[in-house]
Amino acid sequence: MTLGRFISWAILVLVAIVTLFPFYWMVMTAIMPTDAILSRNPSLLPDLSRVSFAAFAEVFRARPFLSWTINSLIVSLGSSAISLVLATLAGYSLSRFASRPQQALGASLLISKLIPATLILIPLFIIYNNIGLFDTYIGLILANMTVGIPLATWLMKGFFDRIPRELEQAAMIDGATQLQALRIVILPLTKPGLAASGVYLILTSWSEFIFARTLISSPAKQVLTVGMQSFVGEQSVDWQLLMAAGTLSVVPAIILFVLLEPFLVSGMTKGALSAS
Amino acid sequence: MSISSGTEDGSHGGTRLNFYRRQQILSYSLILPAALGVLTLILYPLYQVVDISLREGRVMNFARIHDLPLGFGNYVRVLTDPQFWNSVLVSVIYVGGSIAISYAIGLGIALLLNERLPGNRILRTIVLIPWAVPGIVLGIMFLWILDSSYGVFNAMLRDLGILSADFPWFVDRRTALISVMVPTIWKSYPMITLTVLAALQSIPRELYEAANVDGATHIQKFRFITWAGIRGPSMLVLMISALGIFRDVDIVFGTTGGGPAHATETMSLYVYREAFNYFRMGTATAVGTVMIIVALMIGAIFTIFAQRSKFK
Repeated sequence: MTLGRFISWAILVLVAIVTLFPFYWMVMTAIMPTDAILSRNPSLLPDLSRVSFAAFAEVFRARPFLSWTINSLIVSLGSSAISLVLATLAGYSLSRFASRPQQALGASLLISKLIPATLILIPLFIIYNNIGLFDTYIGLILANMTVGIPLATWLMKGFFDRIPRELEQAAMIDGATQLQALRIVILPLTKPGLAASGVYLILTSWSEFIFARTLISSPAKQVLTVGMQSFVGEQSVDWQLLMAAGTLSVVPAIILFVLLEPFLVSGMTKGALSAS
Repeated sequence: MSISSGTEDGSHGGTRLNFYRRQQILSYSLILPAALGVLTLILYPLYQVVDISLREGRVMNFARIHDLPLGFGNYVRVLTDPQFWNSVLVSVIYVGGSIAISYAIGLGIALLLNERLPGNRILRTIVLIPWAVPGIVLGIMFLWILDSSYGVFNAMLRDLGILSADFPWFVDRRTALISVMVPTIWKSYPMITLTVLAALQSIPRELYEAANVDGATHIQKFRFITWAGIRGPSMLVLMISALGIFRDVDIVFGTTGGGPAHATETMSLYVYREAFNYFRMGTATAVGTVMIIVALMIGAIFTIFAQRSKFK
C-alpha cells in the first residue's frame, strides 16, 4: 500500500470510529455502573469486571417498554405491508404504461414529498377527530403510508424498468393475464426491489415520531419513539435507563439494515441515479 | 387506439380493442390505490390547510372551523410576528449549514471509498448506519454526549485543556443551534456519501486514462471528469436532504425542543407549536402555506441546477 492510500484508509477508519462513537457511548452508559459514567472523568474504555445488563431489564420494569415496542411493530409492519403492496402495483403501472395522466399521477406522488409532516398533521388531526380515527392504530398507519408510498413507488418503478417486457409478454402469449404474469413471472425477479422497498418502509415508519406523538393520545397505544422522548424534559433524566432503552430501540433497525444493506443500497442508488 | 374498424377481420379487431381497453383499465386500477391513498391523505389535507389559513377567528370545535369568515388576517398576524421571522432565520442557518457540511463530509468520504481500499465494504456499511437510526433516538444520544455536567464531550475537552469549566452546549444561546446541527449532519451525510459514491463508480475509467495522456492536472481531472459526473446526482440528493432537514422536527424535538428562548425553533417546529401547543390552527396553517412555497422553491432551484448539468 502506498503512503497516499494508507492516509486515505486511515482517514476512513477515523471517520468510521467517529460515526460509531455515539452508539458505543450509548451502550457503554447502559452497561456500566452509574458511578463510572456519572463522573467528571468517565473512562472511555469499559471496566469489564463491572459490566452489568441490569439496566436493560430495568427498562421493561420502569416503563411500558414492551407495550411501546409492540405498538411500534403493529404500526410499522402494518403500514409497511400495505404501502409495499400499493407501491408495487403503482410502480409496475408506472413502469409499463406511460400515458400522460399516468405520468401526472406519478409526479403528484413525488410532489407530495415536499409537504412538511407537521403541516399535514393539522388537517389530519381535524379530520381524524371528526371521523373517529384519532387515537387509533389505523389512523396512524394511514398517516405513515403517506410518508412511505411516494418513494417506494419510484423505487419499485426503477426495478420493474430493468426487467424486459418480453418476459411477461411471453407469459401472456401462453395465456396468462397481465396480473398473473406479474405475479408468476415478474415479482420473483424483483425480490431485491421488494426487499429494498420493504426495508426502506419499515425503517421510515419505525423512526416516525411526530405523527405518533400527535395522532395517538392514550399512553397504552404509544409507540417507541414517543416513549423514548418522554424520558427527556423531566426534571432529572436517568441517563443509564434512557441509554439502555435507546440501545434496545435501535437494535432491530440496525440488524435489519446491516442484513439487507446490499439490496437497499443498490436499489436506492439506482433509483437516485436514474431519476437525476 | 383506433385499430378495429379498418381491419377486414372485424371480430379479431374487436378483441384487440378489448385487449387495449383492458390494458388501459388495468394500468389505472394498478396505480389508483396508491394515488388515491396519497391524494386523499395529502392533497386533500393540503387544500384544507390553505382553506384554514384563510379563516379568521377561533373555534373550540374543530368540526366548525370552516364556518369562520374568510380573510388574510392570519397571514398579516404571522408576517408581523418577530417569532416567525426568527424561525425563518433559524431554518435558513439550520438547513443551509447542515446541508453544506453534510455535503463536504459526504463528498470527502465518497472520494475515499471510491479508491477501493481494504475493508471498503464494511466501512461503507458503517458510515451508512446513522441513516437507519430514528431522529429522536439520535437526538437523545447527542443530548447525553453533549450534557453539560456529565457529557463525555465536555470531559474530553477538559482533559485536553481546551475547556476549563462545563459548557452547556444545548442550553447556551450561542451554541444551541450548532449543537442541533451536529446530529442532523450525522444523520444526513450517509445518503449523500452513498449517492455520490454510486455516481463516481459510474464514471468510465477511460476518461481518466485519456486525461492522463493529455497531461491534465488533478484539479482539471476533478473539475472536468469527476465533478461533471457527480453534479446531477449531487443536486438530487442535496435537494432531497435539504427538504428532509427543512421538514423534520424529530432531532430538534429530541434535543432542545426549540429552546433556549426560540434559538432553535425552525419553521417546522413553529408550525407544530402554533397548532398543537396553542391550538392556533389559522396562523399555523398560514406559516405552513409559506413553507410549502419555500419547499417548492428549493425543489425548483435544485432541479434547474440538475437540468443544466445534463446539457453541459
